Amino acid sequence: MTTRGFKTVGTAVRRVDADDKLSGRAQFTGDLEVAGMAFCKLVTSPLPHARITRVDASRARALPGVYAVLTAAELVNMETHYGSDKKDRPVIAIDKVRFQGEPVAAVAAVDLAIAEAAVELVDVEYEELPTVTGIDEALDGAGEPVHDSNFCHEYGYEWGDVDAAFRECDRVFEDTFEFPMVYHYAMEPHTCIASYEPDRIRLWTSAQHPFLVQAEIARLFGRQLDQVQVVVPYVGGGYGSKSYTKIEPLVTALSREAGRPVRLALSVDEAMRTVRRHAARGTIRTGVMNDGTIVARECTGYVDTGGYTDNGVRVTERFGDRMPGPYSLANVRVKTYGLFTNSTPAGSYRSIGGPQAIWVCESQIDVIAHALGMDPFEFRVKNLVREGEEVRRGRRPIEGDLEYALRRVADEFGWDSWTPGPTPPGVKRGIGFACGVTNSGASPTSTSLVRFHADGSATVYIGSAEMGQGSRSVMAQIAAEEMRIPYEKVRVVASDTTAVPWDRSTGSSRSTTLMGLAVHDAAVDIRTQVLDLAAEHFEAFPEEIEAEDGRASFKGETVAFAALVRNMFGGSGGELMGRGYVTPKHPSGKLRQDPVFWEVSIGAAEVEVDTATGEVRLLRYYSISDPGKAINPKQVEGQDEGAAMQAIGHTLFEEMLYEDGQLLNPNLVDYRVPVFTDLPHEFETVLIESGNGPGPYGAKGVGEGGIVCVAPATANAVFNATGVRISTLPLTPERVWRALHEAGQA
Amino acid sequence: MRPFRLHEPTTVQEAASALAGSGGGAALYAGGTELLLAMKSGLLAYDTLINVKSIPGLDAVSADGDSIVIGASATHSAVEHDPLVRERLPLLSEVEHGVANLRVRNVGTLAGNLCFAEPHSDPATLLLVYEAELDVAGPSGSRRIAVGDLQTGSYETSLGPDELLTAVRVPAFPSGMRAAYSKFGYHHRPTLGIAAALAVQDGVVADARLALGCVSPVARRLSRSEDVLRGERIDALTEDSAVLREACRLASEDADAVEDMHGGVDYKEHLVRVFMERTVLRALARNGGGDG
Amino acid sequence: MAEAQDTLAVAFELNGVPVEASVEPQTPLIDLLRERFGLTGTKRSCDVQVCGACTVLLDGAPVSSCTVPAFEVRGRAVLTVEGFAADESASPLIEAFVNNAAFQCGFCTPGMLLAAKSLLDADPAPSEDVIKDYMRGNVCRCTGYKKIVEAVHEASEAGR
Repeated sequence: MTTRGFKTVGTAVRRVDADDKLSGRAQFTGDLEVAGMAFCKLVTSPLPHARITRVDASRARALPGVYAVLTAAELVNMETHYGSDKKDRPVIAIDKVRFQGEPVAAVAAVDLAIAEAAVELVDVEYEELPTVTGIDEALDGAGEPVHDSNFCHEYGYEWGDVDAAFRECDRVFEDTFEFPMVYHYAMEPHTCIASYEPDRIRLWTSAQHPFLVQAEIARLFGRQLDQVQVVVPYVGGGYGSKSYTKIEPLVTALSREAGRPVRLALSVDEAMRTVRRHAARGTIRTGVMNDGTIVARECTGYVDTGGYTDNGVRVTERFGDRMPGPYSLANVRVKTYGLFTNSTPAGSYRSIGGPQAIWVCESQIDVIAHALGMDPFEFRVKNLVREGEEVRRGRRPIEGDLEYALRRVADEFGWDSWTPGPTPPGVKRGIGFACGVTNSGASPTSTSLVRFHADGSATVYIGSAEMGQGSRSVMAQIAAEEMRIPYEKVRVVASDTTAVPWDRSTGSSRSTTLMGLAVHDAAVDIRTQVLDLAAEHFEAFPEEIEAEDGRASFKGETVAFAALVRNMFGGSGGELMGRGYVTPKHPSGKLRQDPVFWEVSIGAAEVEVDTATGEVRLLRYYSISDPGKAINPKQVEGQDEGAAMQAIGHTLFEEMLYEDGQLLNPNLVDYRVPVFTDLPHEFETVLIESGNGPGPYGAKGVGEGGIVCVAPATANAVFNATGVRISTLPLTPERVWRALHEAGQA
Repeated sequence: MRPFRLHEPTTVQEAASALAGSGGGAALYAGGTELLLAMKSGLLAYDTLINVKSIPGLDAVSADGDSIVIGASATHSAVEHDPLVRERLPLLSEVEHGVANLRVRNVGTLAGNLCFAEPHSDPATLLLVYEAELDVAGPSGSRRIAVGDLQTGSYETSLGPDELLTAVRVPAFPSGMRAAYSKFGYHHRPTLGIAAALAVQDGVVADARLALGCVSPVARRLSRSEDVLRGERIDALTEDSAVLREACRLASEDADAVEDMHGGVDYKEHLVRVFMERTVLRALARNGGGDG
Repeated sequence: MAEAQDTLAVAFELNGVPVEASVEPQTPLIDLLRERFGLTGTKRSCDVQVCGACTVLLDGAPVSSCTVPAFEVRGRAVLTVEGFAADESASPLIEAFVNNAAFQCGFCTPGMLLAAKSLLDADPAPSEDVIKDYMRGNVCRCTGYKKIVEAVHEASEAGR
């Protein structure tokens, strides 16, 4: 067994969804037709913070072609609130609105034109309340709080003797950095079809976590799990925006009112008022010795979770977990707070709290290195956490050699030999570095089922949503490898709660590692059964039999797996079933500790700054990805490059702009996402395979690491080029110019 | 989008009278790239759209003496790729290539862009230095106006409620004129556009045409800056030369920049100075003559 | 003199086949394609002509079907991703997208393919800068663009 080489694992196989997605046949939720389906439009609040004094939908209900209008008054005989941690989100606004764009009523009609017309006929009266905009106003606490208070969550931890360390160190640095509100822009805005029926509820929805949606809907409407079917077709991008439960409760409640299936397809404008990333502010005090040893870090942070908690609890915690950085720290104190404001609720977005935390951490590391006169790269290496060390006390020790990874990136980037070269007057070049480790939020709980058919093909059943990451292909690769059958013989059925076994979620870079393990175990289960059948056939011991390419062989004789299965059932049909359970007690022993793995992020950037205009151009960016084992190397690169490009967005352009609670740029004309011409001339992923992950073949998650380091590496490069430190993102030309101007550098 | 009816006239006169008879309920439709977005979002609503593309020949690009006449339904892409435009108005072709994206250029028209009067228009700025003229038709006949007399404000023009723009007449630059256009910004629409055209005779700026757009609601010529440059020797117009700096300073003073998502007033005024200098120098560096 | 119409008959060529339909003036092309002809490969995303997910080729030229009215196709030829992919000539570009991992979620992909086809029809051997400039109106939020540039290059004469 040990000498056998991989057949499909480790190769860039043809994705199983290639033919669907390159032909226009791939079906997303909005492409589905359900018989009798009505179409929904939302009545949303124009005000960011107000009491609802009257909702009168009678004129809308009277419009021919309108089936139903859902308002708070219809939320009877059901639970009214939902949420992943705190159930503070009403299915539709009750008594009060907490952000501009919050749904107040929802219309179901024969077609969208009628639904749009009916929206105009819903009369809502508000009593305006003072708006809580941003972290400062939330902390100030003046006026009406967003909920009972503006505090959503508090988190903290501490070890060592922080106060003593600060007293005894040579120098103390304190710096504050700000991260903006940004929007995922999954190109498919949230879409859901719900059919509320007497004996069941069916949903087709663009959700990353079908089983969490199932559980939430069952709870809200008092149904058993087996009565709620959630089907997730192809998802047009997630990045966290479609995690947990979003529009599904509203659409289900409306379907109940309308007595027929209802579809709601959000616009980009509405999606921007559904979920976003948390804006954040972090302050770090760091105590260092003159030789560059960091002895203490004290981190205080705030995240703006908007009108409702959504994933604000976890983001508050992860922001705190990640802020001290990948350093060996004897004394640490962290305190983070999640705050409510009158803005779009903030939820998961690719590495929750990660880009915010590492922006703060790694910007300050550069500040300190510069002040100490040390090379920022060497300063990082000097303080880096070592393999096997607990980077957070009581958590899983770091499983890889970070120094090696850092040096690999620096070498490939050419850190030591870099010179700015000749530039036109007023144009300056610089390089910057950043690194981070993020504790994966992946919960080690997945199941999988494999059916091995009588013709030698197999179907793999997984709960993972296919949202671009290529999980179906990776699962087919793992299943084929372990069943010893060709990749082309495996089909994957995914994310239909009535067909596939339970999975927790698709997110936190978890699918290859944890669902992969479940598929691996289910496929091994099949192989074990096949070998038993072969042993019976050859009158040999299972371990004496070679299995490859769908055939078992023993002493020069071979038999197809398919024939073995048919023989077992005594005829032409039959099949085997294999199962895989992944729980914290998985027999590998690798899933007991939290986090199940640490994701490494490293970035090196070269920028050019036009000091006259403030424009920053990212010329080169090098990132690292350590998937443990790259099951499909092209897809690993794709995850890293895609994450880094999203980060280029929040680094240079992206920011949801609010004024008095009104979102000023709720469209792609004014909210600028990266395009082809923003691609740096060199945009490289350094792939290392450390083989130390808890997943199959030592695999671990990727896909989040690439988003974490772009902003600090870029700002550090701007500092290197100009000597000016910018502490607020994004690095728009105007912001950079103002900073340069104040420093006398423009 | 609220339903509307489509009127498809076959003559300019018919279009003008349909417009006149609508009492404001009708709008002209050419490419629709701006209009339909505003209608989709509910900012604008009309009972009727009058499709100027149904008027035969209005998409033509032709020569009339020294001018190129661009019909009202010629798209940005058609203008960009038209052989006459490329030969005689190469800077217009270059600027048209930079407008929005390919799909917008394939549908949107140059005339529609001017008439919609969205403040962030590259062609509206550039055409000022070409000293383009516009043919405007109404029920009682037609008139010709300078391009600079069209836009009166953000989304506002001087056209009467029953008038339509039928053609954009763009004279080629006089020989010896050197021109360049600069745009800047990271948003989908430009933050700033500057056009410079300088006629050089015997090493002296014989004529200067400078235009600025996007930083304020209406693109404008910068006559005080032009006056400063006129008569100057071009070898004295170097980076940081006092004359050029003065022209740039006056440009920023005359910009009437407004604060918006694209930036604060002081930043925009600063950008005007930076890009005025860069654009003038770039134009002068094109010493082969023409506007290429 | 023509009367203003509230419905229009449109006859056009759709993926090589002559077709007819009746549309209202305000109907955007994407609704005609998706709802009347069931061609759901064309995707609506930004709805303001920035993202390119709704790209179709009108007489060979990319347009935003989210905004172009359906009546504009009268007498013209429309190519959607379904028609493109069904033609043998599409295979080098499609295979290049597969080989280079130039798609992930697949929502931008139909528009991306059609934009790339239109580019290669106009310029069979575009440089990397030309590819980026031509495609800059098509947004992809998954791949980071590099792999799409590589795919278009591979499918071009320069890359074969």
